[in-house]
Amino acid sequence: MRANFTLFFLGVFLAAAWIGWEWPDIAKIMPVYVAAIPGLLLVLVQLYRDATAWDGRQREGGGGIDMDEVYSSKLDKKIEIRRTVVYFAWLIGGALGIWLLGIVIALPLLVFLYALVEGKEKWSTSLIMTACAYLLIWGLFEYTLETRWPPGILFP
Amino acid sequence: MEISLFDAALKGFLNLLHLKVFLAMLVGVSIGTVTAVAPQGLGMPLVYAILLPVVIKWEPVTGIALLIGASSVSAICAAYLPILFGIPGGAGSQATVLDGYPMGKRGEGRRALGASFMAGGMGCLIGTLTLLLAIPAARPLIYLMGSPELFVVMLWGLSMVAVLAGRRPIKGLIAAAFGLLLATVGQQAQSGIMRFVFDQPYLLDGVSISIVALALFGIPSALDLALTKLGVEQQPAPLKGSLFDGVKDTLREWWLVLRCSFVGVWVGIVPGLGSQVVDWLAYGHAAQTSKNPENFGKGDVRGVIAPESANDAKDGGDLVTTLLLGFPQGVVTALFIVALLAWGYLPGPEMVKKNADLIYSVVWIQGIAGITGTLVGFFLAAQLAKLAQVRYTFMVPIMFIFILMGAFSVTRDALDLVAVVGFGILGYFMRRFGYPRPAMILGLVLGDLMEKYLYRSVASYGFSWLTRPAVIALFVVAATSFIFTVRGRLKSRTQEPSSPSLSGAMARAQDES
Repeated sequence: MRANFTLFFLGVFLAAAWIGWEWPDIAKIMPVYVAAIPGLLLVLVQLYRDATAWDGRQREGGGGIDMDEVYSSKLDKKIEIRRTVVYFAWLIGGALGIWLLGIVIALPLLVFLYALVEGKEKWSTSLIMTACAYLLIWGLFEYTLETRWPPGILFP
Repeated sequence: MEISLFDAALKGFLNLLHLKVFLAMLVGVSIGTVTAVAPQGLGMPLVYAILLPVVIKWEPVTGIALLIGASSVSAICAAYLPILFGIPGGAGSQATVLDGYPMGKRGEGRRALGASFMAGGMGCLIGTLTLLLAIPAARPLIYLMGSPELFVVMLWGLSMVAVLAGRRPIKGLIAAAFGLLLATVGQQAQSGIMRFVFDQPYLLDGVSISIVALALFGIPSALDLALTKLGVEQQPAPLKGSLFDGVKDTLREWWLVLRCSFVGVWVGIVPGLGSQVVDWLAYGHAAQTSKNPENFGKGDVRGVIAPESANDAKDGGDLVTTLLLGFPQGVVTALFIVALLAWGYLPGPEMVKKNADLIYSVVWIQGIAGITGTLVGFFLAAQLAKLAQVRYTFMVPIMFIFILMGAFSVTRDALDLVAVVGFGILGYFMRRFGYPRPAMILGLVLGDLMEKYLYRSVASYGFSWLTRPAVIALFVVAATSFIFTVRGRLKSRTQEPSSPSLSGAMARAQDES
């Protein structure tokens, strides 16, 4: 699985080098010579390290500081996967809702459903949260700041 | 027209004497405070990504007041989560968990918070003073820098980011290369050639940095809340004790504050180091120079003072390189550069020459917001502590709103939503498999600038720019620091870490948090 994600970068850099190869030099210096080809070489090194479990051995050995947050979860694997999938389903549902219904309807609806279904909040709490979300999106952005959001495809 | 630095400083201050600028700074301070205190997730990169599409339509000084107001305060109030919940309050306050949480658990939460506010406020002022002094000190050198030198500085910084900042240097470099590649999507300004556009008009202007930052940081952070069910399955330590005990502790440890603040400034200035490092370096320094290091990790107030003062001072150091060289030190300063570019300013020598007053406005805002944030922390400690206990069922939908609305406001195209979800999934996997996201953002922001400087260098000097004395000197400095860093890393692997060492502290914190 670890190697599989590195393969994503392999695919991206390969495609970039392939696509950019025919461009004139001025256009391909950065994408091909500075990014894609060095990226490809690095991916190959990383694939070797993944295959030989190099990173794990080095970490046991000692120092170094993580630049990004370290991923660590003490949750049971099944619970973690279920919660992750549910979370992304809500997010994608929210994005689809904006496309279909427009932002002014979709986001308060998302807040209401998430609080009620996922958060198991009371109806009254969920409705108050929804009203606050509506006031924020419509009241602040549409009314006060005159931000015009495009309508959803179901309500053109 | 160039003006003297004194006039620029005065004009920079006068820029702030407008009600809307002052209000924007107060709003920024409020946003920074709330986001620092609110359950993990609403970090500054996410806040900047949300605010960016809004503030770039404002007048520059007003927008700067909001952005700098928010970021300068966020570190001061970042100790709530480490002290009350035992979880990092974002990059830069991870080490605070080690001693802050034991203090919270034994009924000294207020003392720990008082120490963190005071140390943070002092660190912020020391960082701001350094920035203030750096402008006249660096100006003569900056005047010697042209496009070739700036290209080398950025190349140096990018290589150091990937090598210095992680246990995973190769993954860091891959992420940075991916960011550079993304930066080239769209129509190239110099040649007009379409790169990676695939006949999609949406990609003509390239990939939006706001969307990428929102997705990479916001979506995995909200996922953390949903996974841990914060506020429902995790309960805070009680808020007891006295804030003023913490103030007295900090004033008694003024020498430690001063030293750690300079550690913070140094981390801010050196390309490649960042928030993830600063608190650990300061903590390690405090533990190693202490007469009784065995107390560290068991609720020693110096374990709170050291990382908090360094973390706040770092912001001043960050701004030195961001404003004077145009090189960002992290995601927040990278997004700040994006805002400056959108307002028509080119950070670096050009801005020092033409818009020195604006640089001084940043300095003033940084200092004033730091003092305001410290006072807010003291006076609203109890109320803010309640904010830290907000349940995930409130936070996750709020974050959904800001992520989706922030992304959709960029071009109001449905593809904005596809992009934010897609990069969010990428951000999840990058974090899951240890690819540092900040390296990718830096690559994305620097890619465009690097290409611009490289093009200008070649157009102006051909390949003879490589023989310019300043370029050679910078290459030597870059290569030397690169070699020393790699050597240091190899050395640290062969040596057994002494206790209590930085590595040991880090390992313990990762276990405990």
